[in-house]
This record gives sequence, structure tokens and C-alpha cells, in this order.
Amino acid sequence: MSDADDHHMFESDPVAQDEEMEQVEAGNNEMNTKEPARDEEGEEEEEEEEEEEDDDDEEDDEEEELAGKKGKKRAKHRHKRSIASRFVDLEAEVSDEEEEEEEDEDYGADGFIETVDDVDDDGGRRHYALIDKKRQLEEGEDKSPEQIAKDLSERYRRPAVRYTGDMNEIPQRLLMPSVHDASLWQVRVRPGRERDIVFSLMRKSIDVEYTARPVSILAAFQRDSLPGMIYVEARSAKQVSEACNGLVGVFPSRGITLVPIEEMASLLQIKKQDLTVNAGSWVRIRRGKYAGDLAQVVDMTENGEDVGLKFVPRIDLTPRDDAAIDAAGKKRKKPVAGAGAMRPPQRLFNYEEVVKVWGRKQVSKRNQVYVFQNDTYKDGFIEKDFKLSGLILEDVNPTLDEITQFTRRQDGADYDHVVDLSIIAEASRKAAISVLQPGDHVEVFEGEQAGVHGVVDEIHQDVVIITAVGVDIEGQKVELPARSVRKRFKPGDHVKVMTGQNADETGLVVSVADNVVTFLSDMSMQEVSVFSKDLREAAEVGSGTNIVGNYELHDLVQLDAQTVGVIFKTERDSFRVLDQNGQVRLVQPHQISMRRDSIRAIATDSEGHELRINDNVKEVDSEGRKGQVLHIHQSFFAFLHNREITENGGVFVTRARSLASLAPKGSNLIRAGMDLSKMNPTIGAPMGGMVGSGAMGRGPRDRDIGLTVCVVKGPHKGYVGTIKDVNGSVARVELRTGNKVVSLEKEKLRERMPNGSLVLLTGRGSSASRGGGGGGGGYGGGHMGPPRTTNPYASSGGVAPTPAWGSGRTPNPHAGDGRTPAWNASSRTPNPYALEGGKTPAWNASSRTPNPYAGDGGRTPAWNASARTPNPYASGGGSSGSGSTWGGATPGRNVSAAPASSGWGGATPKRNAGWGSNADGWGTSTQSNSWGDAWGTGAPTPAAAATPAFGAPTPAPMSAPTPAASGGFSAPTPAAYKNDISAPTPKASMEYDDAHDAANGQKSSKTKDLWIFSPACANYQDRMKVIVHGTRIVDYLNGDYEGRRGRIIGATRVADSFEQTAMVRFDSGETRSISVQFLEPVLPTEMGEEALVFAASEKEKTGRVVILRDRLDVDELGSVAVPVSTKEAASAIFEVQKDSLVALYPET
Amino acid sequence: MAAAAIPTQARSKQLRACLLCSIIQLPVDFRKNGCPNCEEIMQMKMNSDRIASCTTTYFDGVVAVVDPENSWVARWQRTSKYVRGMYAVRVKGRIPEDVELELENRGIKYRPRDQTDQE
Repeated sequence: MSDADDHHMFESDPVAQDEEMEQVEAGNNEMNTKEPARDEEGEEEEEEEEEEEDDDDEEDDEEEELAGKKGKKRAKHRHKRSIASRFVDLEAEVSDEEEEEEEDEDYGADGFIETVDDVDDDGGRRHYALIDKKRQLEEGEDKSPEQIAKDLSERYRRPAVRYTGDMNEIPQRLLMPSVHDASLWQVRVRPGRERDIVFSLMRKSIDVEYTARPVSILAAFQRDSLPGMIYVEARSAKQVSEACNGLVGVFPSRGITLVPIEEMASLLQIKKQDLTVNAGSWVRIRRGKYAGDLAQVVDMTENGEDVGLKFVPRIDLTPRDDAAIDAAGKKRKKPVAGAGAMRPPQRLFNYEEVVKVWGRKQVSKRNQVYVFQNDTYKDGFIEKDFKLSGLILEDVNPTLDEITQFTRRQDGADYDHVVDLSIIAEASRKAAISVLQPGDHVEVFEGEQAGVHGVVDEIHQDVVIITAVGVDIEGQKVELPARSVRKRFKPGDHVKVMTGQNADETGLVVSVADNVVTFLSDMSMQEVSVFSKDLREAAEVGSGTNIVGNYELHDLVQLDAQTVGVIFKTERDSFRVLDQNGQVRLVQPHQISMRRDSIRAIATDSEGHELRINDNVKEVDSEGRKGQVLHIHQSFFAFLHNREITENGGVFVTRARSLASLAPKGSNLIRAGMDLSKMNPTIGAPMGGMVGSGAMGRGPRDRDIGLTVCVVKGPHKGYVGTIKDVNGSVARVELRTGNKVVSLEKEKLRERMPNGSLVLLTGRGSSASRGGGGGGGGYGGGHMGPPRTTNPYASSGGVAPTPAWGSGRTPNPHAGDGRTPAWNASSRTPNPYALEGGKTPAWNASSRTPNPYAGDGGRTPAWNASARTPNPYASGGGSSGSGSTWGGATPGRNVSAAPASSGWGGATPKRNAGWGSNADGWGTSTQSNSWGDAWGTGAPTPAAAATPAFGAPTPAPMSAPTPAASGGFSAPTPAAYKNDISAPTPKASMEYDDAHDAANGQKSSKTKDLWIFSPACANYQDRMKVIVHGTRIVDYLNGDYEGRRGRIIGATRVADSFEQTAMVRFDSGETRSISVQFLEPVLPTEMGEEALVFAASEKEKTGRVVILRDRLDVDELGSVAVPVSTKEAASAIFEVQKDSLVALYPET
Repeated sequence: MAAAAIPTQARSKQLRACLLCSIIQLPVDFRKNGCPNCEEIMQMKMNSDRIASCTTTYFDGVVAVVDPENSWVARWQRTSKYVRGMYAVRVKGRIPEDVELELENRGIKYRPRDQTDQE
């Protein structure tokens, strides 16, 4: 009985323990009733079980809540439970009945009677207790007073039981299980429910202890590290299955396995990895905003549950607006967690910064620490308590970088000592043992043998045997704990890094400080510090490849549709990529969709120069970094590389527009006159051969960009906006209303002047002259579209009356032309180039040069001719009569064309082809070229026609002729065009022109076009017979002058960009300015005729006047040597090539 | 045979294990009755601070000791002489210094329950 009493007394229901002692005593009955009930509930009543579980959960949850709240809830909960238990009792009774044959009758009856008594009792537990007590007292009457006294004394003595710890003296090994002990059985259970089942087993064994079928297990246990199983100590498997019978989540069917006796102890000895943390040790945070971040343990509670950590905070310094609402206590949204949400970068706490963003109220200062959002910040670090379970204690592997962060103060200054590497060293010492290998050179750094060094012979777990090297104990074998040795390196050793972020680097050791070895990398030539444990001596050099997969260092790679980047570092199997936005990404090879080639990419730098890869450039703004262009992306981003910049391997990205070339290349100038419309394929197409000319580049900013315009047609009519971009005839207009950008035809736009007036886009700023230019539609706004086929300018070439030109009678012939329908009507050929002509002004000249252009446009020759007139252009002021013909237009034109001068050159070689093959093609090219947009690109160009000018003498000797004087220009000019002219590149001529006047003759012989200007001819210019040739083909001046001969009365070389012209007095007496390209020398034919040797090929004879000593057959092809002699020495006959001769008029 | 209060909630995060005898109870039980085995030396009854320092939630493995006297598991865990109840296999932490001192005075060898010094 005493046993039973004991049981009753101390086996009290926990909930009932706040009752009086008697009640506790009474509690045993309650135990007998309620506990079984609960058990039954767990075993047999699924529904109840679930409810119970819910309760459990609820309770679990509520236990985590605040204490005040908890009390209230608990009360409520208990009430609920008590009510439930009433029913449970009833049901338990039913359950009992099920087991009636097994269960003790008394027990069942007792329970039944009790509960029946209490069915209508709302008081719950207390009433149970009272009733139990009553009954107990009744029972107690049977007891002797001694018995009662003994019970009582036992009851009160118990807490005073002296703790003896008598079992503590027994060594653990004597506790090993023997065959006499009960066996241990492994039982499969549902994972996650191990602990519940162990508890259930305990409760069940207590509950059924005094029934007919007590559970006869001795113990049961569970280990967290062994999920899905529990171990039950029992004499037989049958007892185990009986015990487990009815428990939910136990799977006896999956076998109750005997644990071998020798394995029993180890089940209880399973130790998790050493979980100890000490102040100063490094851990990582497992979850939340700081997941993965390194933290240092500052302190910990005595029982080791909570750990105070110090780490670098991640404060969101760009809180979203709704965060502010949160702060205001309004609708609280849970911040979007997960991968999508941006995690603020690690940054030390800075009071000013935080206050600026979050407001002063959010941060309070206490002593030396700041409190912000319930976290404390000290010295820039956040100090926060974490549960040990929320930390990663193993494999922390702090990197040097991370540690360095911790040694940095808030003000950014390092602590006096560099980095206390010993902290990490300690952490990694364990790892160091495992990397030792026989043959390694090691030194002992602690213990008795400190300072000894030697070579590792053997390794037995934690013990290494080394052969000492040194004076006194040379050759001795020393046994040492592995943890007290470390690899030894000396300066000069060649080492290789085995692990870590510098893996595979090799280099020469430059210094050794304890266990930190600094070596000079073979690859980067930079000093790298690593732990000696990560090093091995190695003979190989600079393995570290720059190639991973198909990608190489400094490749431009496509990361996704929007992003490209340049690889600036290759790691073992990944890359560091700097994308065009300047962000660094760690990329695996498979994340790269393709490698991009930017070898042909061009961009424009800040000065309008062409920018190509490998150019050396410099930033004009921001930091002024220099570098070599690695890649160009979308003509906008330029990736540069500079070895001297350490960040990102010297690779950085910038805008091409902010770069300036360190060595400007003149020839790469992108013309100011670049025509964007060239890039429009629809416009470009008719240009034929032009297209491939390489004019496809990005033009300079469109003149119209940034204009305020008003839409005059279409759905947006009346809207005002700003032109943001122009692409051909389409402009992107940002409307003032609705903040919308729409694409509109330019012709629907008018510039809106400050006074509200609307002006055609192309006519800006000089509407007056444009009016004069005539054909605004054809010339200005409307030129982009329809006029493509019927070109006023083209046709004008055909119809334009020569006089309009030559005579200068009409001050502004083009104005007239533009207005005359005949222009269009007579348009015979849909001349594509004319389109260009029409367009060009929009770009270059626009209103500036309406006249010459309009006049010349269609009729290239005419245009050329006029352009050749030296005065208007050279002087820029129209100093002569011919200049006045051009009117106000001339200067403007001059301006626009001038920059093109250097471009003449590249074009020349192609000219011949275009010229020779067909006239139209020639004409076409002329037009576009003459405007300079393709000057530098090698397009066929009439510019070449002007080439003769190169050969011309410097203006000084040429100054004689006056433009107005044109007269007997009838001299036919031979050959220059029929021949395959091997004109030198104008570039060359230019140089020559600029710098080597002396060599003129020689050069000019090659450039027959410019023969007129050759110094050889200078003195005889006015006697030279020339013939107009080749005008019919191109309809130059209607071809009216074809075949007419005359003498040159004036020819001066003008700037390269202009047409080189000469004043010719024809035999008829008329004086006219003719483009030199149509002037060919007239060959002397008759014996005794005077001729001039003009070709430089004749060397010393050049420039001499000779007399023909034989009759010359003009029709004979090829170069024929002609016997000549000078006047003075008639007998000294020599030969010259006929091509190098020009007939002279008799001296007057 | 004496028994400890069996916590009703097996999964409760509040379960605490005594640092000396490794018995697992709810804090409320520790508070009301103290440790059923070593209350005499731990003095946890009605003393929350003491409970906090002498027990821990940081334990691993739960043993249901049904029959302490005869169970090998209990013997191995050195809980044979203790009441029956739930015990932790491994308890992290050490008892407060005063208790350790007291044990020393009594000539009792203190064996931490964290399995660090098993021979």
C-alpha cells in the first residue's frame, strides 16, 4: 500500500499541483481517471487525438507569447480542457470497456462511478480532487495512524532527501551493459514524433501500471540525431510491441529490432558536433536577413542558450514608402521576403546616415550605444542575441575579408594591429591537421618542442612523427600532437595554394609571419596572404588558367537579354563579370548565353571621334580614369581596362560619350556633317553602291533633338512636346501631356518658337534664306518622302539654263527653279542621289546653303564646276563676280563643306570606278559625297574630281586669274578621264600640298585631274589649250560645252572640299568657269607646234616648253614617245610621252 | 516509487532539463516542486532565477525511465537512484559554481551531463 500511496502522492497531475496538499493527495485518483482517459484518447480516439494535438499546438504557440497574455489564455484553455476532460472521462470509460477483459475491474468501475457523479458538475478538476479526497479519507480510515504518519513523514521528508550523487563515482565503463540487463529494441516511428512517443510511453506505463496488463518496459529513449526511431528497453520484443500497441505514429510492423549489446552504449553516447561556442569565436547566422553572415560571439548566457553576437548590420537605407507607413503604425505589411527582396548591403552603422533616412526619432542613444528599431548598435556593429539553434557553428570558415570587416572601426580606420589572424587560425587549426601530409616541412609552434622543425614522417590521427632538422636533435624522430605543428615555409619557396579563394595561385614566398604566409603571385604579381595550412610547395608555375569553358578573361559575354558583361576574373569554375551597369556578378559558365564580339563595334567619344576597341582613352568626366577599350556595347557602353586599377581586375565600364581618346586619330573623325538618314535602310537603298561605303555609323546627335515641337497632323495634332530622338524621318516626341513618348513623322512636326509661331523643322533659324532656296517642300520638310523619285534637283540639273550659272544674271536662279513646276515636270530620271541632295541640307547645310545646293544638286557637274570657282570658297566671302552668282549661299556652303576637306582623300580611288562605269552612278555618288557625309569612307566621289586641285600650286602663283573672266574656253582637254587614272590618295596629295610644295610636279603627274594646277603649268596656264570633255555623260552644263576648246585664263587651287574650277576663255570668245575635271589637255599635233611638258613623269623636262618635231597621231592609243626639242636648242631632240604634253596657244 | 511530473507537452520548447540530474520538466513544475532528485542541493523551488541557472532547454535526447532500478539505460545515465520520469540523454551546460563547490565539499564528483568527459 505504501507503494501505492507513494505513487499517488508524488505522481501528481501537474495541473493539479497548485491545489492544497490534500488535493495533491487526492490527485492520485484524478490520475487514475483522467490520465488514462487522456491516454485512451491518444490511443483509440482519433478525433480526440487530433483535437488534443490542436490543443497542444495552441499551447505551444501560446507558450511563446507574452506572459501576461499567456496567463489569460491559459486560464481559458484550462477551462476548455476541463470541460473536455469531462467528456473524455466518459469516453474513456467507454474505451475502458473495450479493454474490459484486460483491465482491472475496480479501476474501471471506480472511474465510472466517479465520473457519473461528476457529470453535471461544472467545477471540473477541483471537484474531482474534492471527491477523490473524500474517498481517500474514507480509504484512509482503513489505515493505521502509524501508516498515515509514515506516509506524511515520507511525504514531507522527501524534498529533504540528501543529494548523494552516489552513482557518480562509478566509472562509466563499469556501467556497460551486460547480458543480465534487459535488451534494447529499436522501433520505427514516424519522423518528428519520436519525442511525443517517448512521452506517451512514459505516461502509458504510469497509467497502466496498476492494471492487469501493465507495461513492462524499463525505459525508452530517443535521440535527435536518429530521426524516425526510438529505443525501448525491455526484456522481450513482445513487451515492446505491447507497450507500443495503440500509440499513434509507431510502426511496429516495420520491425522491432534488437540492438546488439555492444552498440547499446554508443546509442547514448552519440554526440553532436561540439556545439560549444566561446566569446570571440565565429559563427554564422542561419536564417533571416543576416542569413549566412559572419558574426562574432560577444557573450552568452550561462546555460548557453542565447548568444550575444556582434556583426555588420544590414540597414535598409532606402526604405520604401510603405515602410514609412509602417513606422506610422498604419497598415502593416509584411515585408516581401524571399529571393526577390533586396537584402540591404552590409554596412557599419552610421548614425548620420541612418538619421538622415529614418529620422532622428528612430534612433536613440544610450551611453555608447545607439538603439535603432529595437537593435543596439555599438561601434558601428549591431549587437543582438540569437538562440544557439539559429546559428551555424560548424564550418564557419571565415574569410580574411570578413574578418577584416570586423577589425575596422566605424570611422573606417583600421585598428593598430592589422588583423588578428590568430582568431581564424584557431578556428582553422583543426582543419590544419587534416592537410598535413608526409613529406611536409613543418615546425612546432607550441609545447615543449616549440621551434623545432622537420619533415613529417608519419601521421597517426592526431599524432605526427617528424624527423627533426636542426643542430642538436638532427635526425631524431619526434612524436608530436598534430595540432601543435604547422607547415613551414621560408621566403623564396615556391608555393601553390590548395584551397580557399586563392586556390591554384602560385607564387614565391616573400614573408612568413607565424602561420600567415605572404607570397607574390605569379599571375597577378600581387602579394597574397594565406594561411600556411592552405599552401603546398610546388614547382609548377602560374597554373591558374584564364579560360573556363569557352570563355576567357576579358570576354564580352551575354548574360541575359538586357545584360552583357566583361569577365574580369576567372575562378575555379566561375567568373566574376562586370556588367554594363557596373555591377559585379558571380557567373557560372552555364549562365552565359553567348560570347559577344565587339571587334567591329564603333562608338563616338566625347569629341565626336570614332572609338574602337583597343583605343587608349581617358574619361573626361568623373574620375578621369584611363584605360584601353576592351569592348564596346551598343555604341554606348565602353568597357575599359587599366592594369593600375585594382578594383574588378582593372576592368570598369563607362559611357563612350564620356571618353576622350588619348591619341586622337584625325582620319577617324566622324564628320560633323554625318547624315543620320544614311543609317536608314529605306533611304539608303537607292544609293546603290554607296551603301557599303561604311557610312553606317552612329551619327552625331540629331540637330532636331531637344527641340520643342508642335504636332500639326494626326491624332496628336496640337500637342506640344520635345524631340527625344530622331530616326530617319521619324522623331520620338515626348509629349508635355501625359508624359508619353510617341513616334511621329517629322513632317507632322513643327518647331514651336518661343513666340508661339511654328516653323518647319529644317528651316529653323534661316527661314529667309530658305525661302530663297526655294522649293521648301522639296528642300526642307518634305524631302524625306515622296520626292524620292522625282527630284527637283535632279531635273534641275537637266533643265537649268546655263546662263543662270555662268552669267550670274539671275541673282538667285534656284529660287526661281524651285518654284517652277517645270522642274519637277521635266524630271527625266528618278535620280536617287537627288534624294540625298534634298536631304542633306537638313543635316549639314539646311538653310545655310540652299542655293548652291539646289542649283547643283541634280547637276553635279554644274555644281562641281561652281564649287571649283576659287573665290567664293576660298575667300569665304564671295569676293568676285562669280561669288555673287552664288549669292548669300556661298559662305554657308563653305562652312559646311570645309570640315570635309580631309575626307577627300579616302574617296578618291573609288571615284574612277564610279565615274567610269556609268554616269548615273557617278552622279549619284557625287551628290552624296559632295556633302561630305561620306568623305572619309571611301565612297566614290566627285570630290575626286577636285583632286587636281591638290596638285595645284599654292594660291600665290595662281592668283592671277579672275573668276569673272571667262572667254575662249574651247580647248579640248584630253584623256584624263578615259584613262585609268591612278590618282594618288588625296591624303597623300594633301600632305604634299601642305608640306611639300617642291614635289608638286611629281605628284601632280599622277593626279591628272589636277594637272592644270601643277607648277609646271603655272607660267603657261593662259596659253594652254584645253578641251572640254566628258560633260555629256554627266550632263554637265547640258553638255553644251563638250568639245569646245579654249585657254585657261584663271585657275587657282581651292580648298579640297570644293570643286576645282578654272576660268576658260573659249575659242568663241565666251568666258566660263569649268570644272577642271572636264578639262583635258589638247595634244599638240602639228610639227613645230609649241607644247608644254606638264607631266611630272618627265622629270627634269617638266615645265619646259617644247616644239614638236614630228607630226603626232592623236588617235594613236597608249603612250607614244614624241620627239621634241626646246626652242632654244632646236637640235637637241629628245622624246617625251605624248600624254605629258599640252598644246600651247601662240604667245601673244 | 517516486515519479517526477511528466510534462504534458512533449514538443514544448519550454521543457527544461536539470543540469545535475538531467530530469526534464516544465518550468512550472520546477517552480512548484523543484527538482525531484536534487532539490536539496539545487534549491530551485519557487526560485525562477535559480531555475534558469540550474536547468536548460538545451538538451538532446529524451529518456523515459519507467523502472529506474532495473533499467540499464537509467544506470548508464546514472539516474537509477532517481525518481522515474523523463530524463535528457545529454544536457548542455554546467551547474552553477556554488553548486559545484557544494558538491566538492561533500566529496561528490560532479559529472557534467554534456558527455564531454566520458572515459
